[in-house]
Amino acid sequence: MLEPEVGQGALLSIRLQVNGEEREGEVEGRTTLADFLRDQLGLTGTHLGCEHGVCGACTVLLDSLPTRSCLVLAASADGCRVETVEGLARDGRLSRLQQAMWDSHSFQCGFCTPGFLIQAAALLAENPTPTEAEVRHALSGNLCRCTGYESIVRGVLAAAEGRELAGEGSK
Amino acid sequence: MRALVPAERYTGASVRRVEDERLLTGRGTYVADVRLPGMLHAAFCRSPLPHARIVAVHTESARLAPGVVAVFDGAQMAQMASPVASLIESSPSGGKVSFGILAVDKARLVGDPVALVVAESRALAEDACELIQVDYEELAPVVTVEQALDPNLPAIFEELGGNRLFGPETKVFGNVDGAFARADRVVRASIHQHRHQNVPMEGRAILASFDPSSGQLLVRASTQGVNTTRRMLAEQLRMPLDRLRVVAEDVGGSFGLKFGASREEVACCAASRALGRPVRWIEDRWENLTVSGQAREESFEVEAAVTAGGLILALRVQMVIDSGAYPGFAPLVVDTVREMMPGPYRLEALAFTSSGVVTNKASYVAYRGPWAAETFVRERMVDLVAQELGISAMEVRLRNLATRDEAPLRMVTGPSLAGITARDSLLRAAEMVDLASLQEHQRQLREEGRYLGVGFATYIEPAPGPRQEGGEENTERVRVELDREGSLLVHTAQMPHGQGHRTTLAQVAADEFGMRLGQVRVMVGDTQRTPEGFGTGGSRFAAMAGGAALHGARRLRGKVLEAAAQILDLAPAELDISHGELVGPGVPGGRLPLAELVRRIELAARSGQLPPGTDADLTATEDFDGGQSGWSGGTHCCVVEVDPDTGLVRILRYLVVEDCGDLINPAVVDGQIRGGVAQGVGAVLLERSAYDPQGQYLSATLMDYLLPTSLDIPHIEIEHLIPVRLDPDVNFRGVGEGGMIAAPPTICNAIADAISPFGAKVLEQHLPPARIVELIGAISA
Amino acid sequence: MLSWLLKLPPFAYRAPESLEEGLELLAAGDGEARVLAGGQSLIPMLALRLARPSLLVDLRRVPGLAEVKEDGAGLRIGALTTELVAERDPLVRARSPLLLEALDFIGHPAIRSRGTVVGSLCHADPAAELPAAALVLGAELTARSLGRGSRTIPARDFFLGPFTTALEFDEVVTEVRVPAAPPAEGTCFLEVSRRPGDFAMVGVAAAVTREGDRVVDLRLALTGVGDRPRLLTLDELGLEGRASSEGLFSEAGRSVGARLRPPEDLHASATYRRHLSTVLTERALRTAFGRADIRGGAAGA
Ligand SMILES: Cc1cc2nc3c(=O)[nH]c(=O)nc-3n(C[C@H](O)[C@H](O)[C@H](O)COP(=O)(O)OP(=O)(O)OC[C@H]3O[C@@H](n4cnc5c(N)ncnc54)[C@H](O)[C@@H]3O)c2cc1C
Ligand code: FES
Ligand code: FES
Repeated sequence: MLEPEVGQGALLSIRLQVNGEEREGEVEGRTTLADFLRDQLGLTGTHLGCEHGVCGACTVLLDSLPTRSCLVLAASADGCRVETVEGLARDGRLSRLQQAMWDSHSFQCGFCTPGFLIQAAALLAENPTPTEAEVRHALSGNLCRCTGYESIVRGVLAAAEGRELAGEGSK
Repeated sequence: MRALVPAERYTGASVRRVEDERLLTGRGTYVADVRLPGMLHAAFCRSPLPHARIVAVHTESARLAPGVVAVFDGAQMAQMASPVASLIESSPSGGKVSFGILAVDKARLVGDPVALVVAESRALAEDACELIQVDYEELAPVVTVEQALDPNLPAIFEELGGNRLFGPETKVFGNVDGAFARADRVVRASIHQHRHQNVPMEGRAILASFDPSSGQLLVRASTQGVNTTRRMLAEQLRMPLDRLRVVAEDVGGSFGLKFGASREEVACCAASRALGRPVRWIEDRWENLTVSGQAREESFEVEAAVTAGGLILALRVQMVIDSGAYPGFAPLVVDTVREMMPGPYRLEALAFTSSGVVTNKASYVAYRGPWAAETFVRERMVDLVAQELGISAMEVRLRNLATRDEAPLRMVTGPSLAGITARDSLLRAAEMVDLASLQEHQRQLREEGRYLGVGFATYIEPAPGPRQEGGEENTERVRVELDREGSLLVHTAQMPHGQGHRTTLAQVAADEFGMRLGQVRVMVGDTQRTPEGFGTGGSRFAAMAGGAALHGARRLRGKVLEAAAQILDLAPAELDISHGELVGPGVPGGRLPLAELVRRIELAARSGQLPPGTDADLTATEDFDGGQSGWSGGTHCCVVEVDPDTGLVRILRYLVVEDCGDLINPAVVDGQIRGGVAQGVGAVLLERSAYDPQGQYLSATLMDYLLPTSLDIPHIEIEHLIPVRLDPDVNFRGVGEGGMIAAPPTICNAIADAISPFGAKVLEQHLPPARIVELIGAISA
Repeated sequence: MLSWLLKLPPFAYRAPESLEEGLELLAAGDGEARVLAGGQSLIPMLALRLARPSLLVDLRRVPGLAEVKEDGAGLRIGALTTELVAERDPLVRARSPLLLEALDFIGHPAIRSRGTVVGSLCHADPAAELPAAALVLGAELTARSLGRGSRTIPARDFFLGPFTTALEFDEVVTEVRVPAAPPAEGTCFLEVSRRPGDFAMVGVAAAVTREGDRVVDLRLALTGVGDRPRLLTLDELGLEGRASSEGLFSEAGRSVGARLRPPEDLHASATYRRHLSTVLTERALRTAFGRADIRGGAAGA
């Protein structure tokens, strides 16, 4: 719960559920959810590529909806459920999406990766069989400077189809 | 990780990348992810003015601000680190320019670092930056090349005596005057490339931690090469090399930007040394867009001597490069542009004049295919020549491209063209789009008021380029080592930042040595063990590092078999290494794990059981120059539709026919090509590093510097040609830059074709909708 | 120059449990306090240090603001209704195709999941879609303050300039009302932006009412072309009495182009914006007209 009287530098106590675990912390009003996740919870999988809402690298699920964590105050996420890229794999097993992205050579430098994974996971949760156009539309708010997007789009489509892609063994 | 399935050969297969599992689960380690005990955060106070004298820097209130540990101004920093010295040899004034790590008495661009604040958090450091007051005396900004050449405007560097940095300098190849005298016609054009920039998704970043007790500085960097970063830091910090260790883990893209050590990075190291605490600086996006560096702003006056039949005999080219505020890379680019100007074309003669200026804008840096202007200018010129002669651009290309079986197989500027497949790629691309019916379709649509265009560009890229007789030795070093676990370690100075080198180099070494992929570990990014070499860049990886790994693995395998033969009392020819085990009919049990073999070799060597002369050192170091494999290259083709009312361009089809030699990992190769093409699409349709007439930077956010999105980049079809194999072993070639080299002229040629019915002439690279409507004549410029 | 410092400047934060408490905080804030809704405009402004409030009053805990309702007069969209919820809402989909079309042009899913319809109106970005749509739809905003209670502000009187509205510093908009569309009206929202999802260089919201081939009413508002969107009607365009649609739309386009003094920025020159205004106005009107016809009177999508 938030303290009744808070001045500018004062700390606010927050509690939220992150990747299924109850977490709490003390934040300034100005602390963004992204900085809170990275600096206080050590969840550095969420990346900051612009800090003004355009690149999408910081996308997390906030109460199940894809959200820019650089544009949400940590205090505004008090009481919410947050899922980050770290929460996608369960019990050491990659999710089907992660596996398909790996098989599809979706990424290069990996910096944009968390945002795309979360945005794509949100898409598939809502629309398990998207068309290519729907995938491109859903991912159009996430910037990748390395890939030209095709490999990412293919990865999402492969995950949707649940099809096995050529791994390293097949020639 | 999931077990890697053994295969007959990894090389040539799209094996999954070994780096991905970490990256996909959020366990990558970029500099911003590293926290050290006692770590401090840096932020820079930066100049809001493009050109100003710094009269005084007041840091008192910043020093007293909450959480602030130290504030350094330019004068203090000058005591802590040497100024950067830049020597431009061809400068009229001798070209010696030097400047402080922080601006000392002058700010030369918007964002020039004036003071460094180190505090307990980045937010607190930023708060304190706002408290620093700087007294500036404004100077007239020098924003354009014309202004740089205006003697009435103030010199950005007084020691240059003006704003011309070098040139004009002319080099002549072949008989230019003779060719122009023979020409039926001279086609002239002024062609311009606009300023745009790398914009890796991770900006620059550094974490410097100085240990006062040992005097060692440990630096975690986001860099394309740890050795280069270490050397430059050592120079600026006046520190012996062995006191400095540079480590790099994951790097979030670079495209040429992150070479060596930037001023900000030097400043953070100096601050860590002064404070005895770790100091981290993570460049934010404003800083990245405004000051990290920009590229490509070059203009060309071109004259082509042509025959009525469409032969291009010779070119006269005058190039001016805008190097921005702090000179560094620009002069090097000019040399490559000149050499590559003929490309795969049989040009008889070339006169090339170059000069460079300084302006109050971000400094010129390398950006993917830095010399790409030669392809842009040449491929645009080819289309302009065709337009002027009234023959098809395809015909002009075919008439002028060099073919493998016709002498002289050499560019007029020198390099051999052995093994090029440029012409083949053009023919194949034309076939793939079915040019004839496409052009028929275009004619029909025009009658309905719809404007389709098709464009081609053909290029070659030195990757790493042919061996130059008498040229400087240029090699890449790889050290291969068999460790006690029986794993093969491949040490390289290459520093992957998206290219997947940890996978591709392992593929090559695994095949050559006889390992499973999972038994090979590629070791990068630590000056304590990384072999010599400047790092990743200049398309050096595939042929040079790949070749060095291949030859190194081969040599080490020979050594291992030799030693094994001694121990087992067999002939080396009776032994083999397969799937990471020693095998052979004489091997007890048929197979021996390599870990066991290593143990036995060590034991035998220690107890003197190996005959003298047996080499029991299980490492091999190999230097390789790329062998005979020289050029990558190909042809891109783009089909667009332009809406003449709005100027919007839709890319209907994009295809790449290319030759980068033998593919190590096709999926990685295709990723490099597509990523490069995407940057080219961005350059033409979206991206511009724009300044207003006062020198203020306008593209400082990602709302204004427009990177292409998944809806802007089309599906890119790729076909690989069968390469001409000139080397007995190594026919891999670099592929990192070609996409970005060929895409801009291809797209511009397509747009120019689409709007040619309006009489529009395209002489620039940046064609946003507003400009297209101007070119069409629907609105005035 | 924008600030190169991208961490947010310090401010105090409160998330009141009731509207009254929120209004009290604003009233006590002397204009230094700001309402925080979805934050998709305000937080970037803070990051670029274009705004320096001392206190943010986050509406997130205030009950009853997140609903979309319908009454006799039309739709009522509560202040915490996000753009995403609005675009998926069955009432919005059924009753306001123009709003739906405008919403689809806004940013990206991860923006719309937090950004609110009312927040966009209050932000009054001259390039935003919703203010233009609100004008054409004849929307009305309900504003409340501690001292002065509740008042209704028609969209026509709400937008005063770039990022400037008729709201007082102590007021909170609780909802926006969108009147039911008159029968025989067709609408269209069209825009040209640099990339899909970007703010428009020019956008046009249009509504046309027809009787057979006659245009009986026409409303237009453009975005990206001035300090704020303005409502344009047949009268204002000097086209009253021009009943036949033949030639009307291109004339309307020219008339719109001629009267504008659009701004210039790095994405588009003033001349280009004026040209686009002409082109898009004509296209949007033609489409709206066609839709009115196809749907046999009801507003068409
Ligand atoms: C990358 C990106 C792209 C975008 N693209 C577009 C686009 O293409 N088109 C477009 O129109 N918008 C775009 N937006 C902005 C988006 O639509 C915003 O969500 C919206 O403009 C503001 O809504 P909000 O709820 O986030 O408001 P906030 O950011 O919370 O607030 C905005 C302003 O309105 C005030 N305010 C908010 N609610 C109230 C209220 N109930 N009463 C009084 N004052 C209030 C606040 O005090 C503040 O001044 C984009 C944003 C981003 C980050
Ligand atoms: S860091 Fe949040 S959108 Fe770029
Ligand atoms: S993989 Fe590098 S930014 Fe997307």
